Amino acid sequence: MPPKTPNALLHGALDALILKTLTKGPNHGYAIAKFIEETTEEAVLVEEGSLYPALYRLERRGWVEAEWGTSELGRRAKLYRLTETGRHQLAAETATWRRFSTGISKVLFSR
Amino acid sequence: MKRSLRSWLWRVPIDQEIDEELELHIEMRTRELVDRGMDRKTARELALSRLGDVATLKRTMTDLGRKRDREMRLTLWLEELADDLKFAFRQLKASPSFTLVATLTLALGIGANSAIFALVDATVLRPLPYGNPDRLVALWENSTTIDRSYVSPPNMLDWLARGQSLEKIAGFTPAVGGMVMAGADGNAETVSRQWVSAEIFDVLGVKPIAGRTFTREEDVKRSNVIVMSEGFWRTRFNADPSVIGRELRLDGSLWTVVGILPRDFQLLGETSIWAMRPITNLNPRARGAYVLQVVGRLKPGVSINAAEADLAAVADALSREYPQTNKGRGVAIQPLHDSLIGRDLRFTSMLFLGVVGFVLLICCANVANLLLARATVRKRELAVRSALGAGRRRIVRQLLTESLVLSLVGGAMGVAIGAAIFRVAPSLIPQGLLPATVTLSFDIRVIAFCAVTAFLVGLMFGVVPAWKATDFSSAEVLGSDSRTMTRTGGRLRGLLVVGEVATAVLLLFGAGLLLRTLLAVDSFDRGYRAESVLSMLVDPLGSKYPTPASLQQFFDQVEAEVAAVPGVASVGWAESLPLDFFDAGGLSFEIVGDPPVDQSQRPSTEYQIVSPTYFSTLDLPILSGRVFDRTDTRDSVPVCIVNEAFARGLRGRDPIGLKVALRPAGSPQAKPDVREIVGVARQVKGRPDEIKDFVQVYVPMAQDLSDDMFLVIRPTSGRAEALAPSIRAAISRVDTEQLVSVRNVMTLEDIAWTATSRHRFRAVMVVAFAVLALVLALVGVVGILTYSVQQHVRDFGVRRALGATTNDVLRLVVRDAARVVAAGAAMGLALSAATGRLLETLLFGVSPLDLQTFALVTMVLAITAAVAIVGPAWHAARIDPATALRNT
Repeated sequence: MPPKTPNALLHGALDALILKTLTKGPNHGYAIAKFIEETTEEAVLVEEGSLYPALYRLERRGWVEAEWGTSELGRRAKLYRLTETGRHQLAAETATWRRFSTGISKVLFSR
Repeated sequence: MKRSLRSWLWRVPIDQEIDEELELHIEMRTRELVDRGMDRKTARELALSRLGDVATLKRTMTDLGRKRDREMRLTLWLEELADDLKFAFRQLKASPSFTLVATLTLALGIGANSAIFALVDATVLRPLPYGNPDRLVALWENSTTIDRSYVSPPNMLDWLARGQSLEKIAGFTPAVGGMVMAGADGNAETVSRQWVSAEIFDVLGVKPIAGRTFTREEDVKRSNVIVMSEGFWRTRFNADPSVIGRELRLDGSLWTVVGILPRDFQLLGETSIWAMRPITNLNPRARGAYVLQVVGRLKPGVSINAAEADLAAVADALSREYPQTNKGRGVAIQPLHDSLIGRDLRFTSMLFLGVVGFVLLICCANVANLLLARATVRKRELAVRSALGAGRRRIVRQLLTESLVLSLVGGAMGVAIGAAIFRVAPSLIPQGLLPATVTLSFDIRVIAFCAVTAFLVGLMFGVVPAWKATDFSSAEVLGSDSRTMTRTGGRLRGLLVVGEVATAVLLLFGAGLLLRTLLAVDSFDRGYRAESVLSMLVDPLGSKYPTPASLQQFFDQVEAEVAAVPGVASVGWAESLPLDFFDAGGLSFEIVGDPPVDQSQRPSTEYQIVSPTYFSTLDLPILSGRVFDRTDTRDSVPVCIVNEAFARGLRGRDPIGLKVALRPAGSPQAKPDVREIVGVARQVKGRPDEIKDFVQVYVPMAQDLSDDMFLVIRPTSGRAEALAPSIRAAISRVDTEQLVSVRNVMTLEDIAWTATSRHRFRAVMVVAFAVLALVLALVGVVGILTYSVQQHVRDFGVRRALGATTNDVLRLVVRDAARVVAAGAAMGLALSAATGRLLETLLFGVSPLDLQTFALVTMVLAITAAVAIVGPAWHAARIDPATALRNT
């Protein structure tokens, strides 16, 4: 068993992270996971068992679209691409997150 | 582009999609770990374990993936539909005249169909508005000479009691005339009435809206009880609930109102009140009184055939027990629905439906033609779309969407047209054609029918043009000029128009036959020569004139009083009128002195009571012998006058002086009524479409009397109707209490008109539809000719340039037209010859292969073809060689 994710993601945050990742361009699932780990300096570990279902849900909501492309290994890979509605969603979630974290910060760092 | 990628993605099965995706993930993670120095096996195990339980993961993903695909397919489909609709509306808006012609054509076709469907629905499809209508049956007695006679009450009760198949049974007598209701103001009014047995409403499963229906005790106690219809209760008693329980004076006695029946309940013929007629403990002689129309409710699960066998056994037993009345009498049984609607109405409904169905086919052909013509024009556009990657299926779907939009818009307009037809239709439908149980309604069923029809029609006229339009067999289309590729389209269009013409010819032919039938029944020799005779039924009340002598005296007084009215030339009495014969079953007869004939072989005759002046009033000639006179009395020798058909049956013997023995049909043992023949009267028609002359015996009123008689009056000049008020006044001078019910005031012309109304209705309807069909076919022919001229503009131009005259060019157009019309006509006439026989039962005085009708149809068609040619020919003749060659 892998160690329990040190910082379990808040509900809905994974979606936002995926969307954010995809703003850099279409990518496959592994790259998304890797990118999140690296950017957060592994402070946030993506629980891989929930990454793919999350991707499927996003696809179903129409926030991302899937298409076949080629991976770095030269193999066929399913690439996810951010859609226009996905972009709007990301903006909305970012705003929410900013309000939320500012609120929490104000409390935690108050004197 | 996006869409096609996505659809390509879907072609990968979901399992494979997930496997590949996860495998890639694991492989990349493994490589990452190996790069960090792990050995490959451990790395892969770690990569796997980081995904958690892979089986569960796959299941979750499969589930989500499936849902995603389903929704996407639907979204895609809806998106495409929205696109197609947008496209369709844009296309239709771009060519408004095409859209208008096409939708109007369809609206006409669907509208006509919807109205006729409403008729068919009411008569054939919809079950009767009674509880468990499939178990309701109509019952009659029959014998060797009569297929169906009314039923005697004791027999009816025995069928129920001794048989195993019936749950309930009841009878009614519809045509018994009204009851006279004395009003508070001293004025009397006649109220329509039917006799019913106590349980009739239980049999039919009809619940009163107020009060109750009759009980068995009332039957046994012979109470005077009535129920009334809601309509009568509302109009005459202002829906006063206290009417229930009240006693009304009807026909001079008191009757108690016990209940009110819902408005839409009627049996045969409309009536205001139902009066209970007791049927238990009747005089044994009642077994020979055939007075009831009978309805029964079968026990659950009993079939008509089983009931028939069961009741036959009962009838058999009865005929052995009561040979006097029941010998040779059986039971006839039929589902109530069939018996109420009748073959004639059912056939008429279906005939109309067939006819409007053909009209709709022609509409479809016309619209298909328009679409084909458009397809030719649009071929280039479609080819471009196809070249840009749209699949044929996709383009066909797009074109079909366009057709369906057309047909649905047409259908919606059709509903409006149908509703409009429906508004005026009741005034066109002859009275009595539809039984009172049948109510026409333009409801959701009709609208559903229109929707389904519109959809099917849209597919029908859309598929072929769409398929043809997308048949880009070569790249030729993009580069070629428009003439080379239209050849097959042109041929198909030609065939469609030929089909239209053939259909129109078929309908015209049917219309012609029905029209000739109508002319035949309208113009036949009715037998009597009087042009204008007024008739009215005089129905004195039995209680007022209890004896035949007093009744005779009353009739004599009325005759004398009416004869004195200024303007009256002649007055007479008759039990029934020409063309208005009530099928009473007739009498069987033998000539006295002839060798005895077995009862089942005896000829039968109608029996009509008339006054001596009847013949002169109708100007009905006595061909030999004498007319009745004052010497024929109750005490003198019984005499009769026979008609020509009767005389012919004597095979050359002089009828005068022969004695005829008359017996009620079905009572061969009864004591005969022997009468001496004193004269022969000219044949009159009993029904307008009778095939065989009916046999008739006239009997003087002085020697037999019916308690209601028709008074017939011939005016000295002018219109007979004008005399009606002064004759009413004359009658009331005789019976000062005005307790005389006078009704059915009509001229003999009215009666003849009514008698032929069914024929008229059928002929008018079918002629109207046939004309519609012809006009539509004309539009089709004009369309194809115009098209053909357009296609040959350059051709004509060249010909003109090379010296062809206008006539030569016109000849080409005429040749085209002649080809299409002649082919259509040949097909149509062949079809008519083959199917005319189907109409045979509706025809009278004309054969289904009537040559005159053939000739007439051909002539009408020739005229139509000539009309069709005018426009296109004008167009072709005006082609200027120079412009034609420059522009194409």
